[in-house]
Amino acid sequence: MTKFSRFAAKASCTLIAACAATSVMAADIFVIGGKPDDPFWSRVKKGAEDAGIVAEAQGGSVTWLGPQNYDNLGPDAAELIRQAIDQGADAIVGPDWVPEAMDPAFEAVVAAGIPLVIYNAGGLEAADKLGALNYVGAVDYKSGYAGGEYLGNAGHKNGACVNTLPGAANIEAFCNGFNDGIAAAGGTGSVLQLPATAYGDSTAVAQAVRAHLLQNPEIDAMFAIGGGDTSATISGIQQSGKAGKVHVCGMNFNETVLANIQQGKQACAVDQQGYQQGFFAVSILNNYVNYGVTIPTREILTGPGIVDASNVDLVIEGVKAGAR
Amino acid sequence: MSTHSVKGPSGISLGGLIRRPETGSLIGLIVVYVFFAALGGKVFMGAPGWSSWLNIAAEVGIIALPVGLLMISGEFDISVGSVVPASSMTTAMLSGHFELPALIGIMGGLSVGLLIGFLNGLIVTRTTIPSLIATIGTMFAVMGLTLGFAVLIKGSTSVSYVPDATTKALLGTFINGMFNVSIFWWLGFVAIFYYVLHISPLGSWIFALGGDKESARNAGIPTAKVTIGLFMASGFAAACVGVGQVMTYQTAQVAGGQAFIFNSIMCVVIGGVLLTGGAGSIIGIVLGTMTFAVVNQGIFFAALDPNIGSIIIGALLLAAVLSNDTFRTLALNYSPKKK
Repeated sequence: MTKFSRFAAKASCTLIAACAATSVMAADIFVIGGKPDDPFWSRVKKGAEDAGIVAEAQGGSVTWLGPQNYDNLGPDAAELIRQAIDQGADAIVGPDWVPEAMDPAFEAVVAAGIPLVIYNAGGLEAADKLGALNYVGAVDYKSGYAGGEYLGNAGHKNGACVNTLPGAANIEAFCNGFNDGIAAAGGTGSVLQLPATAYGDSTAVAQAVRAHLLQNPEIDAMFAIGGGDTSATISGIQQSGKAGKVHVCGMNFNETVLANIQQGKQACAVDQQGYQQGFFAVSILNNYVNYGVTIPTREILTGPGIVDASNVDLVIEGVKAGAR
Repeated sequence: MSTHSVKGPSGISLGGLIRRPETGSLIGLIVVYVFFAALGGKVFMGAPGWSSWLNIAAEVGIIALPVGLLMISGEFDISVGSVVPASSMTTAMLSGHFELPALIGIMGGLSVGLLIGFLNGLIVTRTTIPSLIATIGTMFAVMGLTLGFAVLIKGSTSVSYVPDATTKALLGTFINGMFNVSIFWWLGFVAIFYYVLHISPLGSWIFALGGDKESARNAGIPTAKVTIGLFMASGFAAACVGVGQVMTYQTAQVAGGQAFIFNSIMCVVIGGVLLTGGAGSIIGIVLGTMTFAVVNQGIFFAALDPNIGSIIIGALLLAAVLSNDTFRTLALNYSPKKK
């Protein structure tokens, strides 16, 4: 962008702002996120754009910057952050996916005096370290905790978390959360570790769950990570003859999971609620830039959101609208 | 080289039994079963235990049969690992996403397997690339294509599909709530492959191919056709497993299936098939598959650390190869004396 066009853009912005009869500064917010055709990120993008309707009404704008692919994620995302600075962003939202590659770019944002919100990845730690206003996102441990608590409060006292990827930090965070959650509700939790040969093989997961249930008849609640493993876990429970006795919650959902919740085969699904991440990150910055108002609550959790029989129909409507 | 595996036992005697090449596999299966029965107790020995390991055995067994035949003919097929998700994705995409009739989805999934098998066969017979490398190549290519098409068409790495009652009953139901219908498909495959390898003339061709490819060709065996046919059989079998998994779990995932590569090879080798080709039997492959499945599931019934299961399978593999060699030498040395 040449200096003139940047001037022209700024001038027109001011003009529009004046026409809109607002005396405040219009916020041009740049959002760095995943590929727009990625199902999770398409929901985050919709949230950001829905919040952008308010920003636009006030003369501002929301621009989505996503990488073409995930092959070179850290450096590509860092480049997008710098692009946002160069394009004269009034505020920036970004995920701290790869801190080593992206933190210098985020530091440049803060150094330029541009308000920053970290979302989706990095947690409050990253936001504090980088000097960002806030963190908006879900926390794996708390998602697992919500699943454990839900099943514990439903009267199940002995839970097992299915870990098909022993050693993966996020899966362990889910399982630790689940165990602590069910313990808080007065039960006990354990982890069913599967051998590496079972990963991605639904039959192996189902048969392992079934054998585990037959050997440990006291288990009455299970937690699985991802739609595929959850479906396999349900199959394992049915084969052990314990359908209806052992209740299941799973992370994330797809059409099969929603259908299973409708049919009562699955108790609940724990959702990160990506729509909220985009919506609140943009809203916080728009209000801050326009009116200087802040959210004193640090770490805005967008998840866990529970999907169960009571709200599954609403969730299906949300899926149709592209928000869930 | 091949004769000792083809001929049936002329009379049932202990000596003759010991000299059968499958004896090592049978002893292995019995030892492993007794070990886990002692630890797993009644549940493992009852119907829940049997159905549990038979379900595992059925899926890996369907793939292990053609992989075993390929190994007997001196070839490897690594690509089965990506044919499983590719075919399940194709079926779920056609019938779930595009809402075409189940039959078209199934046909689509199976033809993906046949096509990949045909390509493997062409590459191996037309070039000098060893089958191990060629099928690793197609495996990665197919994996990438599956992921690419899934994201392109559906925008997601998993596709849901709820099959109608008849399709589900035929391909993905649990009889008595326990025994996966795939066990019966496996038995069907065993019968067909038994006929092909041990009764039909094609069987001797396959053994001959593994023994010495040059002489096989000189003897008038259409080696290229046989090899391509075998690769198509393994693609087809892997596709059957993939299609069955969609019907059973109602979800197709891009990842997954990789476990079938080594698992099927292990079943085959534990079952006494010679890694360099030329020797092996269907009974052996079936016994090897059962041994593998018993260890895999026994671990959970015995409440041992799953990692110990991997150690046992690894040790079993080495023991199997060693003992099979011993039994093969026995079989070869004693055979002439019978006359």
